[in-house]
Amino acid sequence: MNVAVPPPKENMGQPVARLEARSKVTGEARYSADFPLNNLAHGVLVTSAIAAGSIKSLDLEAARAVPGVIEIFTQENVKGLKDPKFGQGNSSSVQPFNGPKIWHDEQMLALVVANTHEAAEDAAYRLRASYDETKPSATFDSPGSQTLDAVGNTESHKEDPKLGDVEAALATAPVKIDVKYSTPTQHHNPIELFSTTASWQDDKLTIYEPSQFVYGYKNGVAEQLGVDPANVRVVSPLIGGAFGSKGPMTPRTAVVAYAARALNRPIRCVVSRMQGFTTATYRAETRHHIRMGATPDGRIVAYSHEGWEVTSRPDNYVVGGTETTSLVYAYGAVGTRVQIVKADRNTPGYMRSPPETPYMYALESAMDEMAAALKMDPVEFRRVNDTQKEPIKGRPYTSRSLMTCYDQAAEAFGWKKRNPAVGSMRDGDWLIGMGCSTAIYPTNIGPAAVRVRLSPKGEVRIETAAHEIGTGIRTVAGQMAAEPLGLDMKMVTVETGDTDFPPAPVAGGSNSTASVCSAVLVASNRIRDRLFRAAVTSNDGPLAGRNPGDLGMKGGMIVAADGASVKLADLFGQMGSGVIEEYVEHTPEGMPPESMAKLYSGQSSFKRGSQGDKIRFAFGAEFVEVRIHSRTREIRIPRIVGAFAGGRIMNPRTARSQLMGGMIWGIGAGLLEATEIDPRAARYVNRDLAEYMVAVNADVNQLEVILVPEEDHEVNEAGVKGVGELGNVGTPAAIQAAVFHATGKRIRDLPIRLDDLLNV
Amino acid sequence: MAVNNGEPGSAERQSGFTRRGFISAGATTATLPLIAGRALAGTPAQRAEAPDGDGKMNVTLRVNGQDQRLGLDSRTSLLDALRDHIGVTGTKKGCDHGQCGACTVLMDGKRVLSCMTLAVMAQGQDITTIEGLARPDGELHPMQQAFIDNDAFQCGYCTPGQILSAIGCVNEGHAGSDAEIREYMSGNLCRCAAYPNIVAAVQQAKTEMKEA
Repeated sequence: MNVAVPPPKENMGQPVARLEARSKVTGEARYSADFPLNNLAHGVLVTSAIAAGSIKSLDLEAARAVPGVIEIFTQENVKGLKDPKFGQGNSSSVQPFNGPKIWHDEQMLALVVANTHEAAEDAAYRLRASYDETKPSATFDSPGSQTLDAVGNTESHKEDPKLGDVEAALATAPVKIDVKYSTPTQHHNPIELFSTTASWQDDKLTIYEPSQFVYGYKNGVAEQLGVDPANVRVVSPLIGGAFGSKGPMTPRTAVVAYAARALNRPIRCVVSRMQGFTTATYRAETRHHIRMGATPDGRIVAYSHEGWEVTSRPDNYVVGGTETTSLVYAYGAVGTRVQIVKADRNTPGYMRSPPETPYMYALESAMDEMAAALKMDPVEFRRVNDTQKEPIKGRPYTSRSLMTCYDQAAEAFGWKKRNPAVGSMRDGDWLIGMGCSTAIYPTNIGPAAVRVRLSPKGEVRIETAAHEIGTGIRTVAGQMAAEPLGLDMKMVTVETGDTDFPPAPVAGGSNSTASVCSAVLVASNRIRDRLFRAAVTSNDGPLAGRNPGDLGMKGGMIVAADGASVKLADLFGQMGSGVIEEYVEHTPEGMPPESMAKLYSGQSSFKRGSQGDKIRFAFGAEFVEVRIHSRTREIRIPRIVGAFAGGRIMNPRTARSQLMGGMIWGIGAGLLEATEIDPRAARYVNRDLAEYMVAVNADVNQLEVILVPEEDHEVNEAGVKGVGELGNVGTPAAIQAAVFHATGKRIRDLPIRLDDLLNV
Repeated sequence: MAVNNGEPGSAERQSGFTRRGFISAGATTATLPLIAGRALAGTPAQRAEAPDGDGKMNVTLRVNGQDQRLGLDSRTSLLDALRDHIGVTGTKKGCDHGQCGACTVLMDGKRVLSCMTLAVMAQGQDITTIEGLARPDGELHPMQQAFIDNDAFQCGYCTPGQILSAIGCVNEGHAGSDAEIREYMSGNLCRCAAYPNIVAAVQQAKTEMKEA
């Protein structure tokens, strides 16, 4: 055992290694762009050099002259693609190949197809475009941008949560803060590039593409092409990182499929790192205005949160994080308002903890500011306002272990040794600061279908179109079958990411473990029950006449408490069965019955954590130490500790890794990551991995993840809360608080960089 | 360069300078070696030398102990040669710009970014990819086993590059401490952020590599 493989505590499964681990360290693991295809042609995208206006003309002559070029697809020769429907699994409502309008920077203009990648790239360089350019609006405050209330103008933010009269409560509150925060544009930047490979056999289309929702892509591409979804298969067995970027389908997929059909030849289009910044989605920049009022003993009597988010001209995307923040503490009064700001940008999309990352950053930063105003310990301030019921409608949490997380993380971090006085801690040239923050993420669950098959040898095969994006979904699904069937994990195979398998929800909202494992559990229990029934009703077997409830399964045997047993192979023989298979469609309680049928047609829906008579959330607490060099202002994070409670932990190894990765994402969000926008041209200027800084190995030092045991039988059948997005929620606010503790300076606009601290 | 809007694949304005033109004109500048792999090979002078339309050259690459004879466009990167022409797809493309490390291979035992290496330049050297690490009987290289033991990956996409880079790091003598490993493994990005587990894996494997 090592630190990466924590022994299970109460209500945790075994920390088994990932089922696909060996394939991932030997290069055998096949990602979407790795499938060999005969006669493959290579596609390279050409994108626009302006952000707003229209294409006047495209000069293809020089590009066509490049030896090896087969065809160049543009709006001139791509005909009949239907526009995608935004909000139904598509990233945007615009199919750029359907017209000359330029909606955003680096919009797709052309797909160059050639015999080799080199020829396609060469030709793409040589394509010339001329434009009718209009002055673009880049972001907040840009002339021409348009501000709208999210309520009434977006699908997902239907109301601004409120409680009582927040203005009156603020007016009379003895202690008040009034603060503004902002978070920057961020890009997911999974290391696997976006790509589409399309191959037709007569009227059957196969798409190989990294996807967090293969059924969505299947139906979406069929709709754009006007073909029967039954003729489309999407294959995405392993995804090389996603973080939301591969959830909604982008317009490229249908274009590549169209071109492959037109040329009667398979085409692979791997999108360059630079083009990935504008042809897929991103986390939009946000602004926040928080006013908070409290009593001198630390009770929050008023919480007002206004948020602004950038979106595109054609699509009203919103994350609306007040849905979560308004539930976190026992506020006396709440007032919120979310507005969207439309600019000439590509449409944003979800990125790891989409609402919580920006909105909880603002709330938790304000919590630290209020604690300072009250001269209270930040942990104790949270304790005073902790609650087991959300304040708006008084609905209870199915479980909430926030303060247990704080206590365990504080103990491990050594919070007691912190001198609370600002600027009081120092080690030589290094100023030391310590801060903390709450993490919260809703437990979402959706309908999911699985096929589980047991062989007489005790081999289990699970098929589901869930998505292995690195979370370990295959492994935990396998564990969920191996446990009731009493089988070693060596006997388990799990296949995912293929529309030939039963559908699973989009791998977003941290729902996959709950959704898929619930279905696997039902299927496995049914198989077990069939075996038990057969064993007790057989005429002469060793378990004949027993009570099925007294039986168990272990090591390929059905066993009774007194040791009597029958081998699976013998029982299968008695049953006359070659395999036993269960196909289970699991729709979570309280969801509309049609949600399963909708899943097959590419519409993924959740029972959200904030819905229902009881609400379902996972919690955590994060503590960070920052060190700021007194001369250079270099900011380092020598230590970070997070404690998280997520219901049943299926696998402490994969859960810890996800939470760890999230915490490091938080370090990136706090100190490094920002997509910079030229405000005049509305163009991103740092569209690569050298200029868009993500955390590297040297940015992480001591890191500790504490898995806090939590049992919750009400949250869902599997008893699990998702942890994939919980880890990065709290880190940036904890860093902000620690920087203040070290320096006395509040840097409210992320990321916090050394130039923000020059005047400290 | 200030008026050049033409990043790779982005449609240039008709009036703008092109990067290719700039490089052809200024081929003696000190910046050239950094970008030569991408840009210089496509200059008109070189294409004129190519005998046929697609500019194919005979190239022999020694990959995982086997000679591979290929007919390649002279501009083909080692990465694309491995993936698209030899079919060893364990080597991954993450940026094609030498910024992420996913394409790391070993050339004569040293770690090299295969996206920044032209295939023709890799002739005559022993190239080791992730597929060439395990023994024929299936026993994993200690670094591969250490990555499994320490859960040093999640999505697994950067992993081949991480493992080859880690072997290079140990062989260079840059795995003396956690801090040194972090520094010398920072050219390999892991967006899942398995970094602490990668450091632990390198620590585990370096001892076994010394014993081997």
